[in-house]
Amino acid sequence: MERRHWLIVIAIVLALVSYPPQWYPLTVRLKLTQWFGAESFRALPESVAPADLQPETFCPPDLSGWREAQTIEDVDIRRSPTCVADNPFAVAAFVRGTNNVSQETLLRSGLTADAVVKGRDLDGDGDPDEIHIRLEVAELNGGSAITQGPVTRYEIAPGIRPGLWVFAPKLVGMAVENFSSNKARDSLRLPSPAIRVEQGDRIRITLENTHYMPHTLHLHGADHGFVNADGQGNEGVPFTSESPVLPGTARTYELTPRSSGTMFYHCHVQPHVHVMMGLQGLFVIEENRPNNWLQTMNVGAGHVRAPSVALRDNYDQEYDLHYLDLDKELSERIQINNDPRLITRSMHREYDVTDSTSDYFILNGRSFPYTFRESLLVADAGQRIKLRVVNGGAKGIALHTHGHKFTVTHRDGVELPPAARAPQDVVWLATAQRADLELEFTNDGVHAYGPGIWPYHDHQNRGITTDGIGPGGNISAIVYSEYLGQNGWPKTRGVSWDAYFTEAYYRREVPVWESYAPGLFSDAGTDWRLMLRIACLAIAAGMLIALGASGFRRRRRS
Amino acid sequence: MRGAIIALIFLMPPAAAAQSEEHSKHNMAITPAGVVMNENTDVLPRDCEAISRDHEITIRVGRKYANEPGMTYGMSQHEVRVEPCSRVSVTLINEDDVRHQWMVHGLPNYLYPAAMFHLEASGGQTRTGTFIVPAQHRNYLIHCDIAQHMEKGMRGQLVVGKGSGDLWGVAHISSNFLRAGYLPESRSSIVVFATLLAFALTYLFVSRR
Repeated sequence: MERRHWLIVIAIVLALVSYPPQWYPLTVRLKLTQWFGAESFRALPESVAPADLQPETFCPPDLSGWREAQTIEDVDIRRSPTCVADNPFAVAAFVRGTNNVSQETLLRSGLTADAVVKGRDLDGDGDPDEIHIRLEVAELNGGSAITQGPVTRYEIAPGIRPGLWVFAPKLVGMAVENFSSNKARDSLRLPSPAIRVEQGDRIRITLENTHYMPHTLHLHGADHGFVNADGQGNEGVPFTSESPVLPGTARTYELTPRSSGTMFYHCHVQPHVHVMMGLQGLFVIEENRPNNWLQTMNVGAGHVRAPSVALRDNYDQEYDLHYLDLDKELSERIQINNDPRLITRSMHREYDVTDSTSDYFILNGRSFPYTFRESLLVADAGQRIKLRVVNGGAKGIALHTHGHKFTVTHRDGVELPPAARAPQDVVWLATAQRADLELEFTNDGVHAYGPGIWPYHDHQNRGITTDGIGPGGNISAIVYSEYLGQNGWPKTRGVSWDAYFTEAYYRREVPVWESYAPGLFSDAGTDWRLMLRIACLAIAAGMLIALGASGFRRRRRS
Repeated sequence: MRGAIIALIFLMPPAAAAQSEEHSKHNMAITPAGVVMNENTDVLPRDCEAISRDHEITIRVGRKYANEPGMTYGMSQHEVRVEPCSRVSVTLINEDDVRHQWMVHGLPNYLYPAAMFHLEASGGQTRTGTFIVPAQHRNYLIHCDIAQHMEKGMRGQLVVGKGSGDLWGVAHISSNFLRAGYLPESRSSIVVFATLLAFALTYLFVSRR
């Protein structure tokens, strides 16, 4: 026999021996078992040992005492029940105006002297009616040709850092915590701040475009003229009212709103991209009341620590809830290149919003579990609270509260007649839609079912995930005071949260139920013996193909 | 210094809980025109015996000075050279309508809290401040720390004495690291064509022998 014939025999034998019995047809396997008896027991691969998770601190300690109730500049700032609180000095400066507070308060607020300027009391009712707000545009998790990784880093959930654009209050100093940190400072965050103004006030909002792309300000739903007093465009729409605000320039928008309600603001330049990058915020017009000193900005939305007179008259507490969803294929585009020309091409011509999917579902700038640090609705039995909700996302949300039925009192800022109101536990909010919800903590079997930790979330399945990993997305909770720990963390029962506070969990590396029953739900190990058989089969196949090819060549030659 | 910065960026603990907005620890006053932080006109750094020289420098910043492709913002000069132990008085003139900063990092902590000297001018405003540099020959980072302003052009260097080597990514002085975005769309075809051409020529050359 020739050498090649020997090789053919070896290859065929190798193929037959290594062919995994798993791949024989079932009838063949049954026949073999009948003839030769059952194959002896071989254990399945062991479970992979659980990884040593290093969870983040669930509830960072409040080193600065920001959570406490305090009076600053004669402004009574309510206690923040959650573990992460707003800067109370900024709250005081927003209420009094950055032009009316001491240098000490201003320094501790982090704001510039002209961030929110409050002027004269025009109607003599004890509060200022000339309000001048300045907004900048900041990029979070942007790309850099100089530094590794996203810069001005902001995490919506452990390890999740989508590129974002936000309107920001005018802040003094660095965008990051300090020179050795790449982390965005506290007040530079998603969502763009909720803005509060009073009905009838003369409001000026100057957009100082600190970004590298053109932007505008569009006051969605708020009573504003098409042009301002100087005849300049005041609508923010580049193709109908005015040229956009170019980088390094500024424009002032004006309004004196006649009607109150929960409105919205956003950039109107290429809005299918710019709005979805985060250039959007709540715009609340409060009823005109005497001595109504408003917290002009609510950074990060959430609990309103210095609520309006009308709110205090009718409710115990007020929360701003800003929902958003993001397409990671869009938001990562600012992280790849640094040159504005390349970024513009990528975002506005290569990206196709009609093919987009939403990956991140966000409440007040965070996804679960970070929502539990900031967005809990904390109340006592018997209270009545007001929620101002906007859905700024591309997809609708089906907002659902566990344990409670709420009443929609206003839609898109307009009050509903009593006949149109009924308790409900799911409300649909289309893109850009607002609803004011009233939650009554009365244990009557309709409005509330008693104390506890009751989640509230978008009931669409994707909304409770972060890029498809659950629990994630916009899940937060209604927590009764007796279920809240001293540090602001809820006394949850049930499973460990350690995995949720790791980046690995949202990178799909941690088995979702591992901690419940190690072994039972761990990752299964690998069967290297089977892999070896398949590799041998592949070697045999390779030999046979080579021998076949050479035989074919020889035959052609002869 | 580069290594140190990169190490710090990577080694930051994920749950750094420090709330960082209280600037009251710094020597600073906030006015509507802007901020001068950590001004120092007379305290000598420990390694200096006397002020060697006084420098007066005017820096203009804004869109107008973004005069290289791909820049959005810029400075009239991206490099400042001074002698060791000199007293530097900087006038920052902001020609845009938005805030800009001129910030020096890495100065001695015992003189400059947070190791920085910082000028910040609101739109259309001018700020002047003075600081004294140590004796060490070294390059310090100058930048504007408004989000993305450094990335989009406002990055410079302060060279004391002979310096310690150029920083990277300073406009007109050194390159940054991203170039891949400028390749033509036909890049794959060109690479495939070049590979095939080389294969064919080499094959012909070898087989002719």
